[in-house]
Amino acid sequence: MEHIEVKRKKVDTPTVASLYFEWDARVLPGQFIMVWVPGLGEVPMSLSKTGKEKCITVKAYGESTGKLAKTEVGELITLRGPYGKPFKKSGGDILLIGGGSGMASLRPLINRRSTGIIASRTPEELLFSEEFNADKRIEVTEDGRKGIKGIVLDGMDMVNPEDFSMIYVCGPERMLKAVYDKIKDKNVNAQFSLERSMKCGIGLCDSCSVNGYQVCVDGPVFDMNQLRDMTEFGTSKLLASGKRVKI
Amino acid sequence: MISLTTNTGGLKLESPAILASGILDENGYTMKRILDEGAGAVVTKSIGTEERNGYFSPVVAPEGSYLINAMGLPNPGIDFFRDEINIALKSGKPIIGSIFASNTDDFLKLALKMQDYGVSAVELNLSCPHVQGFGSEVGSDPVLVKDIVKNLKGTLKIPVWSKLSPNVTSISEIARASSESDALVLINTVRAMAIDVESKRPVLTNVYGGLSGKAIKPVGLRCVYEARKECDIDIIGVGGIYNYRDALEYIMAGASAFQIGTALMEYGRKVFGDIAMDLESYLKKNNVANIKELVGVAVQ
Repeated sequence: MEHIEVKRKKVDTPTVASLYFEWDARVLPGQFIMVWVPGLGEVPMSLSKTGKEKCITVKAYGESTGKLAKTEVGELITLRGPYGKPFKKSGGDILLIGGGSGMASLRPLINRRSTGIIASRTPEELLFSEEFNADKRIEVTEDGRKGIKGIVLDGMDMVNPEDFSMIYVCGPERMLKAVYDKIKDKNVNAQFSLERSMKCGIGLCDSCSVNGYQVCVDGPVFDMNQLRDMTEFGTSKLLASGKRVKI
Repeated sequence: MISLTTNTGGLKLESPAILASGILDENGYTMKRILDEGAGAVVTKSIGTEERNGYFSPVVAPEGSYLINAMGLPNPGIDFFRDEINIALKSGKPIIGSIFASNTDDFLKLALKMQDYGVSAVELNLSCPHVQGFGSEVGSDPVLVKDIVKNLKGTLKIPVWSKLSPNVTSISEIARASSESDALVLINTVRAMAIDVESKRPVLTNVYGGLSGKAIKPVGLRCVYEARKECDIDIIGVGGIYNYRDALEYIMAGASAFQIGTALMEYGRKVFGDIAMDLESYLKKNNVANIKELVGVAVQ
């Protein structure tokens, strides 16, 4: 458990805040940490900046994330990690597809040759869109008040996936599955960062497992070949009790 | 021909390396993968009569050589566990159903359902150290333990294993009380806690948890050794086994098989295959034909 001081803070959207801090650990894009909010719980968070200065981007949707998002400059955050396997790097033109707060873990991959499909319900929730070059930015909103009206798949119709050396995808599992199904028969390379509810983060509790692979240690990043054999991907998962439910 | 084949607790195992209850064993696909990748058998998450979510996180406090956990017996309830067992059974290797309850009747109901689902044995959780009314609270009462074991043995067709707690004054007394079991599983975690000095509060939401990992190996060994001297019953050793030497220590103290849990934090699922391979090399080098020959050799 480490205690790190928040050096700066940026409110990205009405419900999302980024906390910046300096931490010596070597963290690669795609890896995550477990952040403890004493008294409220522990939250797995991917790093939205992975250099000397690091960053977590917090969406306030529950008590613990709500409190974490309210952390101010000078206050401490308590964390353990980093955990998980990172994204494999790729040169050339890359495509980043992020749904909701999924763009946070893709953010460290943004460069001048990256095209972004940034999808959310409302314009206010479009995350890190401005960090892409203006001509490589495809915004999609469900309410249609900004960019294309629709979902991630509608944004994908604006590009040819085969034009990219690598496609990186992060978001809710149903979205990942939809993207996977859309590109699985094409000549593309893609990596998907899975989000599953986690308890331990260290490969022991079995909460986040998909077909025997632990998202916390074998993932969270999986490639097309790995996903091909995962019958649980996009179809079923276990609740906190271990009860199996459909996704 | 070198052999790791073991008969223990009424079962024949291809390898004595078994997955311990509570680790990577609530999802049927995970259990199947662990078996496919080299474990001799798996013990399921402890299952009760009703669905339980377990405690809120943090549920683990990991350190270098140990782990403290308080999961809080999360489980979907016995009725919803049938599907997971079905998935795991496709491996063709033995599944041992772990169950927890506060009284004999519930233990019996759960055990009969597990038997019906096709498990090879049941393991009674008489030892979880962090949930009120269950586990070690049941397992520290010799009269109750004796009654539970007697009733299950009289009714079930499959073997009954009793997993005991080190958090008792006398392990010998509880071992005697459960001596009608087909095997004793020693030990469960050691009751423990951790405090975060910055926030000035216990790390685990439940405050108390169970200590596992390298740090508890000497305690586990001592319990196996004491129980071996006390009764003539198969013993399965568990607690801090990370490599073949740890496993051999337990075997020489009197265990005929062993379980692995926390070592997965360091080595991942391949730990079962790695330890089995190293054990084979050891047997070859020392001209031992079957690992059975080493059981209890260090007992004085």
